[in-house]
Formats: sequence, C-alpha cells, structure tokens
Amino acid sequence: MRKPLHPLTLWIASIFLAIGVVALDSAYIAIAIVGVVALFVFIRRDGSPWNISFALSLRIGATILAIRTVVGVLIGVPIPGRTLFTIPILHLPSWMPGIRIGGAVTLERLSSSLHEGIIIATLIALFGAATSLTSPHKLLRLIPSFIYEIGITLVIATSLFPQLATGVRRIRTAQKLRGIEKVKLGSIALPLLEEALARSLQLAASMDSRGYGVRRKRSRYRPQQWLARDSAFILLTGLLTLVMVAQ
Amino acid sequence: MITFSNVSLLYPHSTKTILEDLSFEIEEGEMVLVMGETGSGKSSLLRLINGLVPHHTGGILAGDISVDGISTRTVKPGALAHLVGIVGQNPLNGFVTDIVEEELAFTMESLNVAPEVMRKRVEEVLDILGLTAIRSRSIATLSGGEQQRVAIGTALVMHPKVLVLDEPTSALDPIAAEEVLSVLHRLVHDLSITVIIAEHRLERVIQFVDRIIYIHGNGETAIGPAEEILQKADLVPPIIKLARALHLNEIKTSVRDVRRQTEDIRSRDFPTVASSTHAVTPAIIVSDISHSYGAKPALHNASTTIGHGEIVAIMGRNGAGKSTLLHSIVGLHSPDSGTITVNGRNPVTLKGPQRRHAIGYVPQEPSDLLFAQSVGEECAQADNDNQLNSGSTWALLNTLVPNIGLHTHPNDLSEGQRLALVLGIVLAANPEVLVLDEPTRGLDYRAKNLFTLALKEYATQSNRPVLLATHDVELVAELADRVLFLAEGEIVADGTTLDVLLSSPAFAPQVAKIMSPKPWLTVSDVVTAMGNSE
Repeated sequence: MRKPLHPLTLWIASIFLAIGVVALDSAYIAIAIVGVVALFVFIRRDGSPWNISFALSLRIGATILAIRTVVGVLIGVPIPGRTLFTIPILHLPSWMPGIRIGGAVTLERLSSSLHEGIIIATLIALFGAATSLTSPHKLLRLIPSFIYEIGITLVIATSLFPQLATGVRRIRTAQKLRGIEKVKLGSIALPLLEEALARSLQLAASMDSRGYGVRRKRSRYRPQQWLARDSAFILLTGLLTLVMVAQ
Repeated sequence: MITFSNVSLLYPHSTKTILEDLSFEIEEGEMVLVMGETGSGKSSLLRLINGLVPHHTGGILAGDISVDGISTRTVKPGALAHLVGIVGQNPLNGFVTDIVEEELAFTMESLNVAPEVMRKRVEEVLDILGLTAIRSRSIATLSGGEQQRVAIGTALVMHPKVLVLDEPTSALDPIAAEEVLSVLHRLVHDLSITVIIAEHRLERVIQFVDRIIYIHGNGETAIGPAEEILQKADLVPPIIKLARALHLNEIKTSVRDVRRQTEDIRSRDFPTVASSTHAVTPAIIVSDISHSYGAKPALHNASTTIGHGEIVAIMGRNGAGKSTLLHSIVGLHSPDSGTITVNGRNPVTLKGPQRRHAIGYVPQEPSDLLFAQSVGEECAQADNDNQLNSGSTWALLNTLVPNIGLHTHPNDLSEGQRLALVLGIVLAANPEVLVLDEPTRGLDYRAKNLFTLALKEYATQSNRPVLLATHDVELVAELADRVLFLAEGEIVADGTTLDVLLSSPAFAPQVAKIMSPKPWLTVSDVVTAMGNSE
C-alpha cells in the first residue's frame, strides 16, 4: 500500500490551486485542473468510505453549474452580442428597474454564465478531492489537544450518519418484506431512534470503560510526520499557483 | 482478584431485583462462566465488575465489589481501565477510531502513556492475537471474528488483570468462535489473566471454564465448579444432556472425557436404520444464480431446489454468501444472472398482501419489523393486515410462548419473546414459505427449544418449506432435514444434515464429536438408537 501524504498537504495544495483558479479566471484551465485532480484522486484512492466525497463534489458542482447557467440566462442584465434565441419577456412592475426576466439570449450571456459556473464547480471539486483523500480521523489528530474533545465528539457524530442511513435502508427492506408498501414515518423512525440511542449508549459505555477523559493530557500514538515529498508537493502546486496568479 | 460481598442490585423504575445478596470471590487466572436465561442479569453482573453499573446506568447497589483491592464504589470505570478490560456484546458499537492500530492505542492515549511504550504494547498485542496482517486495515472491513479479536486486543493493551467478555461468540461462525476461545484459553494459562465470560452457547465454552455463576433470574444465584453447577442446572449443553440420558455417574464437560466414559456404547453394533427419503415436490427452485456487489462476487452459479415440507439450513463462514442467497430468494434484489421461482412466481415481483402470503421473512434484527407501542397493538395490526378475526394473531402467539404480556412494550420483551412475537406476526399471514436469517442469536436453550418445535410444526403440519441461515450447529442438528454449505459464494455441499455435519469436524455438533464414528447428531438420536437395539 502506498504511504499516504500528510493530511494537511492535500488541503494546502487545494487551497493554493483554488487561489490560482480564481486569479486566472479561465474556464479552460479550470476544466483541465479538474481533469488532473480527478486522475490524481483515481490513482490515490484506497477504498476508504470518504473516497466517494470527490464524486459527490463533482455532482454538487454540476448541479450548481446547471442552476447558475439557467438562472444566468433567464434573469439579469442584457449583454449585447450575437443573439442565439429569444424567450418571451416577463413584464415586471415598474419598481424593479434594471432586472429583466427572459428576452434575447446572446452567446456572450450564455458563455459568461457558464464560465462563472465552471469556476465555482472547480473550487468545490478541489475541496472534494482534498476530503476524499484525507482520513477525517487523521485530520482530527492534528488539531490542538485542547479542542481534541470537541473533535472526538464530531467523529462520533459523523459516524452516526452513515449508521442511520444503513439503518433506514435495513428497516425499510424488512418492512417491505413484511408486505408493508406504504412508508409511515413513525414505523421507521421508532426502530431507528431506538437503535441509534442504544448504539450511542454502548459507545459511551465503551469510551468510559477505556479511560476516556480520565487524564487531562493525552499522548499521541504515531504522530503523522511531515516528509520531504509533502514539501515537494506543496512547492509544486505553489509554483503553479504563482504562475497562474502572475498571468 | 474480584470480591463480591453481599451485592444486591436494583434498577431505577423497576421493582425486580436483578441480583440479591450475592457473595463470591474469583481468584487470579480463573476462567469463570456466567450463565442464565436471557434477561436474567448476566450483562449487569459483568458490568458491575468495572463499575459501568451503576456509574453509567444508574441503579441502587448494596454491598461492595472490589477488584484487586480497589472498591468500584469509589472510582469511575475509567479509573479501572488499566485493571479491567471489558468487551461488550457487539464490539463494532464500541469502536472509537477507524484503523486497527489506532483503535488498539486509544485507551493508552487517553491514559497518557508514553509513545514508545505504546508502540511496544501495540506490537505485542498484534502478535498475541495474530492481527499483524490486518494492522492498518479499516475496522469496518474486517470479518466478525477479526473484529472480536481487535476488541479483545483493545482490552489487552493495558495489561489488565481481569478480562470481561459479554457473549463474545454469539455472532461468529463455529470456526471464528473457536479462534477467539482458544486465544482466551491461552491468555488464562500463559498470562494468568482472570477471564469472566457470559455466553448462551454453552457447548462452545464449557470445556474451557473452571467455575460457573448461574443466575436463576429470581434473584438467586449459584456458584461452583462447572460439573457441580451443571449437574443441577436446567439450561445445559448437549454434552450434559447426553450424560443424563445415558445415566453416566459423573458429569464431564470435555468431549475427550465423555468419549472415554462411553467407549462401550460406541463399540456396540447397532442396526442401521434406513433413512426414509420420501420424494418431495419442489417449492423453491434456484437455478444457476450469480450475484456481486460492485466488483466483489457474493454468489457464483448457485443452484438448488427446496421441496415442500423440507427444513433447510444454510451454513458457512461469515461472508460466505448466506445472506445474499436468502435475499435473492425472498426477492430483495434480482440476481445478476440466473432465475429463482418460489411456488412458480418470481419473488422480486411480489407486493403487499400477496408477498405476505407467499413468503414469510424473519430478518436478522427481528425488531426491524416492530413499531407499535405494545404487543397487543402489534397483534391487532397483523390481524388487520391479513383480514383475520381480531385476536387470531394473539392466540397464535400464545401457542408459541405462553404468558407474554398483552400490554408490554416490544422493547421490554426478552430476546426469545421478541423473536416469538415477530414469528407470530409473520405466521399470521399463513405464508407458503418461511425464511429466517440467523434467528437464534441471544436465545437460551429453553427459548431455542420452543422455537425449534414451532418451526417443525409449521413445516410438517402444512407441508411447507422452511429455510434458515445460521451459525448454530446444535440448532441445525435438532431442526434441519438438509444443509446447504456455502463457501466463497459457491454451494460446496448439499445433502442431508447427517452427511454434511459429520463430514466436517469444525461443524460437527457435540454429540457427533463424542459418538463419532456412529452417525448420531443429537441426544435423541442416541436414545432412539439404543432403544431400537434393546
């Protein structure tokens, strides 16, 4: 198995790239960067549950792109240029000047909406890539020890959501097999809440009996080390960003 | 090591005393089994040892408990973490981190142990429990047996003097259970750790334990050497039943000892009884199905036919494809290739009342089907769903388990009663096929007996097939006519219970191990054979 990069490396790199993308403001370069990042995520993925967050971020990005384009085309200040097609203008009351819904859709208007959408989607994809390749547990170990307690609470809270999701699926399936076709909220919520409560109590009991919170100071097992390749990786993306900003 | 003096326990909002005036002492390096019916207070007793009860649960505790000289009254459970390691019923719910190594280090991190010491101890525990190969794996991807060993490891890193385990093998297949128990046995003998264990499947643990604490459920408790307690107990494993049936003068708990006692019986010749194989008409036809989850194949070209009136058990290790096969048969998903018909119909297309009448399904967590506020409401709902006269389901339930409370909340039922309630609801629809997934987890011998009788009656009276996936070898020996054995998604054995169970030592029931090479699986098999020969 490949040794993972330092959890912070990818986060710093994606922040750099995000700055570069915004500064350069070029849709083509942005798409190219998403492509490279996608390839990188594909190569470095290790089958962990958080790997799916990149695909999720791409989907969110695509949704935003679509909404941004539709809204940008429909509403807004007209941009002169080559008319592609015309949609009927919706008449607005006189106290809303300067805003127009509908009207001529020009190539320039369409491309500027698309352009902005692509930049936003790229930023989301960059952070999605960082999350998908970094273990949240490892990231939490890096935060200072005085907020470690809050961190561990977050871990438990986040581990509860996937549990709830699988719980809903399991109970729904069981009830479908009992021949109950119509979903009643109560019939799923009750067994689910019971289960979630029982689990949290068990986890709390387990942490209690394993000495959690007995000492104020905690030691750390195998702290993550910052290696030369982490520096190299940051340096590379830093340079790329500089080039993009300077352009 | 552990001293209970005049301990009584009462939970808040409850009038029933869980334990009453209990006094005993456990020495260093002893292995003690806690047994009793479900809901009798075994878990409470275990959790008293490190103070989880009453510090974590509430309740009134009288008397005093001390572990290695420290009274649990005065300290919180966490302060005993270096002394008592506790492993809960479902280890997955107790894991805090996601990687094996980090999970092992968690307790030491909380207690601020120096990093060098931590590294050394983690290595040590990885070696003792044979976890080196999976040290950097994510816990969620491990098999049940591996998870259980990690859970034991998390307790062992602190070098505890006492190890407490609540039903450590209940979710495991026989081979994984054997692995876990042999690790425990070694810890007791090599490191002189005191082990206290609660378990329903006595046949798995009985040969390892020194003493037994038997909780009767009415507040009374007995404690003594294993042989002495089992002599008088109601809940006994097949090995003891056999000794009683054969009127052996001494009770022994290991297969080796009982084999020595019964040498003369095995040496006798018995007339072989021709097994009556009557032709059955097929009810469920599975032909050549394959199924995979993503890239992971779960079933590969499985074919079988299950006839009317047959009780078929599906066995195999955790992850062998048992649940996938069951899910395909009940129509949860369409298999990737191949076809399944249940009484001539495709199970995926069944809906609503039609489905209820065609296939009765009891899921792994029976409580998934329950959502009403009382047993009575659940029964009324079932009557309503199936257009039965009101009270029919309730009457049916009473034949399965007598004296269940009509107004009891389903959550307050014992495991056995809850299973009976779900079985009652499912049977109320009068299903043509009954399918059960791992039904006997957490059932004591008495509840299991009632359950076996109910299933047998259903299969023989209405001549309908029963299909169940299970790890419980003794249940299969008592109940099933036929066994399908799955490995890596393929059906590797399909034959009568006798043939399949006798061919593999790991899956042989206790009586078969004792009486080998005679073809007997259960105590009643032995008794019948001896009766025939006289």
